[in-house]
Amino acid sequence: MTTSTHFSSAARAAFRGAARGCLALLVALAATSCDLDLENPNAPPESEVVSDVDGMYAVAVGMQGQFANSIDDYLTTNSLTTDEWGTLSKALISYQEMFTAPSIDNSYLLVEEPWANSYETIKSANTILANIDQLGLGTGLRNQFTALAKLFKAMSYGMLIQQYEKVPITVGSGGAAAQPREVVLDTVLVLLGSASEDMQRVSDADIAQSRARLLGTGFDIRNTVSAMLARYSLMAGEYEQAMDAADAVNPAVLSVFAFPPPTRNPVENLAFQLGYVGALKSFVTQAEAGDRRPAYWVNVTAAPLPANPADSVILPLAKYSSPDDPFPVYLPDEMKLIKAEALARMNEQLDVAAGLVNEVRTQTSSPVDEPLAGLPALPASALDTQDELLAEIAKQRRYELFEQGLRWEDTRRFGNAFTTTPTVQFLPIPQQECLTNTSHPCG
Amino acid sequence: MLVHRVRTWVSQPALLLALPAVLAAQQTRTVNGRVTDASNGQPIVNVQISVNGTLLGALTSQDGRFTISSVPTGARTFVARRIGYGTTRQDVTVGEGSPTEVNFVLAPVAKTLEEVVVSGVGAPAERRVVGNTVETVAGDAVSEAPAATSIDQALQGKITGAVISQNSGQPGGGVSVRLRGTNSILGGSEPLYVVDGVIVDNSSEALISLSANASRGNAAISNALSDLDPDDIERIEVLKGAAAAALYGSRANNGVIQIFTKRGQAGETNVTLRSEYSLSRIAKRYQLNMSPYAGYTDVQYGGADSIGEPIQRWDLQDEILRTGQGTSNQLSISGGSGPTTYFVSGGYDYDQGIINNTDYRRWNLRTNLSQRLSDKIEVGVRGSYIDSKANYVPEGEQTQGVLTSVIFTPTSVNQFFDKNLGRYPYNPVLGPNPLDVMNDWQAPQRVTRMVGGFEATAHPFSSLTVKYLAGIDDYRQEDRYFQPPYSTSATFTGSVENPVAFSRQFNNDLTATHVGQISEMLGLTSTAGFRYTSDRREVVRAAASDLQPGQDLVSGATQSASQSLTELRTMGLFLEERASIADRLYLTAGINYEASSAFGPDERWQFFPRLSASYVIGEEPWFQQALGNTVSSLRLRAAYGETGGQPPGLYSRFANYVDLPFSGKPGLVASTLAGNDSLLPEREREYEFGFDAGFARDRAQLEFTYYNRHVKDLVLSVPLPPSSGFSSQFQNIGELSNNGIEVALNTVNVSNPGFTWRSRLSYARNRGKVTRLVTSADTLLDGYLNVVVEGQPVGVFYGGVFARNPDGTIATKPTNLTYNGRDTTVNLPYRAQDTLPGGGLVNASRIIGNPEPDFVATFGNTFDIGKRLQVGVLLDGRFGNDVANFSKRIAQLFGADRSNEAEISGDTTFRVYSLNPNGRSTTYEAYIEDGSFVKLREISTALSFDDPWVQRFGARRLTLRVAGRNLYTWTDYSGLDPEINMFSASTVSRGVDFATTPLPRQFTMSVSLNF
Repeated sequence: MTTSTHFSSAARAAFRGAARGCLALLVALAATSCDLDLENPNAPPESEVVSDVDGMYAVAVGMQGQFANSIDDYLTTNSLTTDEWGTLSKALISYQEMFTAPSIDNSYLLVEEPWANSYETIKSANTILANIDQLGLGTGLRNQFTALAKLFKAMSYGMLIQQYEKVPITVGSGGAAAQPREVVLDTVLVLLGSASEDMQRVSDADIAQSRARLLGTGFDIRNTVSAMLARYSLMAGEYEQAMDAADAVNPAVLSVFAFPPPTRNPVENLAFQLGYVGALKSFVTQAEAGDRRPAYWVNVTAAPLPANPADSVILPLAKYSSPDDPFPVYLPDEMKLIKAEALARMNEQLDVAAGLVNEVRTQTSSPVDEPLAGLPALPASALDTQDELLAEIAKQRRYELFEQGLRWEDTRRFGNAFTTTPTVQFLPIPQQECLTNTSHPCG
Repeated sequence: MLVHRVRTWVSQPALLLALPAVLAAQQTRTVNGRVTDASNGQPIVNVQISVNGTLLGALTSQDGRFTISSVPTGARTFVARRIGYGTTRQDVTVGEGSPTEVNFVLAPVAKTLEEVVVSGVGAPAERRVVGNTVETVAGDAVSEAPAATSIDQALQGKITGAVISQNSGQPGGGVSVRLRGTNSILGGSEPLYVVDGVIVDNSSEALISLSANASRGNAAISNALSDLDPDDIERIEVLKGAAAAALYGSRANNGVIQIFTKRGQAGETNVTLRSEYSLSRIAKRYQLNMSPYAGYTDVQYGGADSIGEPIQRWDLQDEILRTGQGTSNQLSISGGSGPTTYFVSGGYDYDQGIINNTDYRRWNLRTNLSQRLSDKIEVGVRGSYIDSKANYVPEGEQTQGVLTSVIFTPTSVNQFFDKNLGRYPYNPVLGPNPLDVMNDWQAPQRVTRMVGGFEATAHPFSSLTVKYLAGIDDYRQEDRYFQPPYSTSATFTGSVENPVAFSRQFNNDLTATHVGQISEMLGLTSTAGFRYTSDRREVVRAAASDLQPGQDLVSGATQSASQSLTELRTMGLFLEERASIADRLYLTAGINYEASSAFGPDERWQFFPRLSASYVIGEEPWFQQALGNTVSSLRLRAAYGETGGQPPGLYSRFANYVDLPFSGKPGLVASTLAGNDSLLPEREREYEFGFDAGFARDRAQLEFTYYNRHVKDLVLSVPLPPSSGFSSQFQNIGELSNNGIEVALNTVNVSNPGFTWRSRLSYARNRGKVTRLVTSADTLLDGYLNVVVEGQPVGVFYGGVFARNPDGTIATKPTNLTYNGRDTTVNLPYRAQDTLPGGGLVNASRIIGNPEPDFVATFGNTFDIGKRLQVGVLLDGRFGNDVANFSKRIAQLFGADRSNEAEISGDTTFRVYSLNPNGRSTTYEAYIEDGSFVKLREISTALSFDDPWVQRFGARRLTLRVAGRNLYTWTDYSGLDPEINMFSASTVSRGVDFATTPLPRQFTMSVSLNF
């Protein structure tokens, strides 16, 4: 029996050949795609999306879409809890509770969606802000991105703080501690101020050049920034700043969110497609005689719709009744009312304030689609005290800014000047947030 | 260097050789022989003959003969081994001059420790050496399983503890296999299948939902394994435990089933021709409402005017069901001369289903070739090509389902072709007419597939073997679903869907094994290996609607298309060391270091260790002295291993962006599913121990195993705070456990010339439990009723219960109903409700059943009578499993069930079933039944002739066989079949009977000729 240490020359040659073969095989295997870093071909990851300008345009458009698609979340809670809308018989139980009950269960989607959708928008904005400088774009274009991101971030926080009492500012994976409204409003104002500064370095030509890819149809970025600055400065009590910003807004421009098919106007979807909501008849009956605005907002000649609870009287909405109706980001007359309110609250130039209020009352024509009151002007004697002015401003806001998502906040700001109180004071923090946020915002 | 004390194991062309080889060129001789059975003198097929000290070997043919050429002259030891017989050795001097003849006579034994197992151990080894459980199934148990069209179907009742269910009785219907319980929640639960070393695709993702809806786990009626022909199988090895499967690392949590196909044998050419004819009939039909008077639902849907008026009824099953015919034909040729051996086969299968217009047709062609290039190198090529086409009808929860319509529609509705309308009338409950669906719709599935590989084995020197394998499984599956215009409603414009899936799985393995003998007492076998796999699956979908009459391709006016692509690559290194001590104690330690592309770079490489020990205590002299008379052999074994599982989606770790167009422009937003780059494989840790004991000279063998496994890092969807911008994330957070016992008793009861009787009895019990979810109060719902909750097995039934009186009887309450225009009040049972802490009532839900069996048992017997007759009987039993009888629930609800007759005749409360207003339809407790069953899975009788008159045909042997499959079921279950599951191979949703085609009774007759 041969021992294992003896090899014939043939065997040695064979072994060498085999060894070389094995080695060659291993090298070949290593050289072929043994790469285990596979990408998902079905959907791009974030790293790829933010690495070029095409992706960044898509993220910016997506961010605007996120905000536009969440308008119905803000409006539903806002209008049902105040005296704007009522529920129809088909409405979900959560809608009915928002309309009638003093409190609302925090497990409802109605409670979670304004919260969740706002943070998704804020996160998109953060993504843009974090990555825009890596693309090496010119200032004109880069500042449009940053201004847009800051604007939508501010609008989202702004909408959040009108619905919930305290909200986190930091967007983090474990959840951050909830901040009180002064802190959040500060953040909003800082963002808007920064957006405004960014826009100063953007020319109209810059906007025109990138509008087709960057901005939604009919969305005017410059005026919207100023309008939001005015709105939230007023909320925060920064009256001078509110007035300056309101002055910068061009009243001949209507900045809108467009809803071409297959998308739908969110109010039309709620009121007609789903058939959940309609306008309270009290909105029409409590208007001043001769006010043309109820007819602008509500179909005043139609028969009432089957309502829930049955004792409320609901009329179908006129605005917005067509699925491709655009939704205004803000209405031009809000600026006049902001200025008037700022002056009134500062208790200065009350005559100027009264003049502004009368401009709103007497308006009969406009270059853009907005409500026209067609009322007679009030005499100076009716508007010469702070209280009278504030009461009249509150009333004008009711009819100018119907279903714009502002009335809930108005009830808090005007307090006793209001005739109605909202059924729910603030939305509770959503249940999923309570259960998973490591900072335990629900206590 | 000692030779005789050391156990040597011998190689077949694919197996491993151990001894120093004689290298110098020598004279060689051809050796012939024949192997017969000691008890009846009959030839034994598939006996492995090997020559110690060489690579040479052969397999006996149908008449027990073998030929080995080029055997070096001199003193040689020939070894004959085969499952079920005792291994026998003969020392023969191979002389010059006349050819040498070596004959063997093998005595039947229950099992043998010398059986060679290939898989899961790194290098082939005898069973005695392997400490973990490896279960083998002989090839003819699979290839001769009557009427089985697929391998997994043929395995029913043959693997201890495996719960193998055929999900639907449609031809080509898929099979779901569970080894040692359910081991994942979001991941899959089917084992990994490997054919000749190639990992094959067994996906059961439906391209078109014909049974369960796509939103519910998307399980298909069939599974991809149904394409592989059971006829060419030589042997199957089942690796149930983590210790056995650790070699497959991160894909092996559910076990591995290794399939080996036939090779050629050197010597005479063997030709086998087999032709089989089969009949299928439904075993049990729905018992429908045939009352001659109208009931409540007949007024609602059937056009009757008042309850109690005479009405005509139809049992649509008469039009839907038929006796299906089928045929299976196979021709195989094997042989070889010198260094070349081959096996070539071709076959054609055609089966009609028991529902009209359903069938399954398959062509397959296989070629296995081996060539010995020199004394040291052998190469082989294996390839099979399959072309199959199945025609299905929808069933289950699809509104177009044919059997679905039978249970949803009151029997008073006339669904026959209406000459006045010129079409089939619409079904008043569902829309589509079942006869229209069956006759005019199309739901074919077409698969073309190639599975094959190249293998090279080299012995650079005697104690080292290097093996390389490259294999591929490539298939293209095309499904179609054609719904003609106006077939579901007057406004339906027709629709065609035509998805195509392209799947390619490629793996290559390089293994090196070294056998060393350190001392007389200590042997060491070392194995090292490398594996790389690459899987790619692409699905392209095209669909069209607004069809023209007569148009059935995807070219209607409105078209849509989509595409998806998934890829997976794995790479691994493994090392294994086995020490054999005194030829009595064997210790094995191995480690598999593997990476998968599904995981992030930091967590990609994972270790999967294994340890096992096997102690053949029965061969110790002191044991033989003490207990040798009662216990003829005893082996103790223990093993520990870890395996992994892939995440539910191969791209789960990524944070993806999804489309959100706005204002007519393309937009992207981040998905609300957060990515998780630190996603790990699900990890299973299992230890098992057991023994194999032989009694009465190994005429009886008892195998016992206890296993205990714990699976952690289960991937679950964890909710995130919405203020993060995300809503959920996949995290490794869940845990579950499975433990149980597996017992098998193999006996040779009688072994006389003229009569041999063998039995196999198996029993297994598994207890599964979910031990951790995201929060302990979580209830994850899958399907209709199956949930995952802590403290319970995966997939228990959870649903509404009856309100009960304090004494436990079902409570009733008065309910106002309208009966023939009059108001009436009846007492009806109602669903129980719970009181909430803050006041208010909510419907109560409880755990009401468990689809997993308490235990499973099989009992198989084979009888060899005289020289010609062989009879086999296999009983397959499952005990303690619950079935949710949704078929009955729907049938009762819509007044189609026989029990509704009592409502009409007044023998039971009016409307206690029909559209019951008290929530009976959600009181699921009423529909959970005990689905325990014993099925006569297989019974076959074969007559073989090798007389002179057979040779006049030119043949050596003629076998006539008559057999049956699923001929009888003993069960208390009231539905059609307690085995079927509408959710097919779904991991969590099991035991749901909802208008699924039951398994038919099948009867076959076949003729085989061996030339």
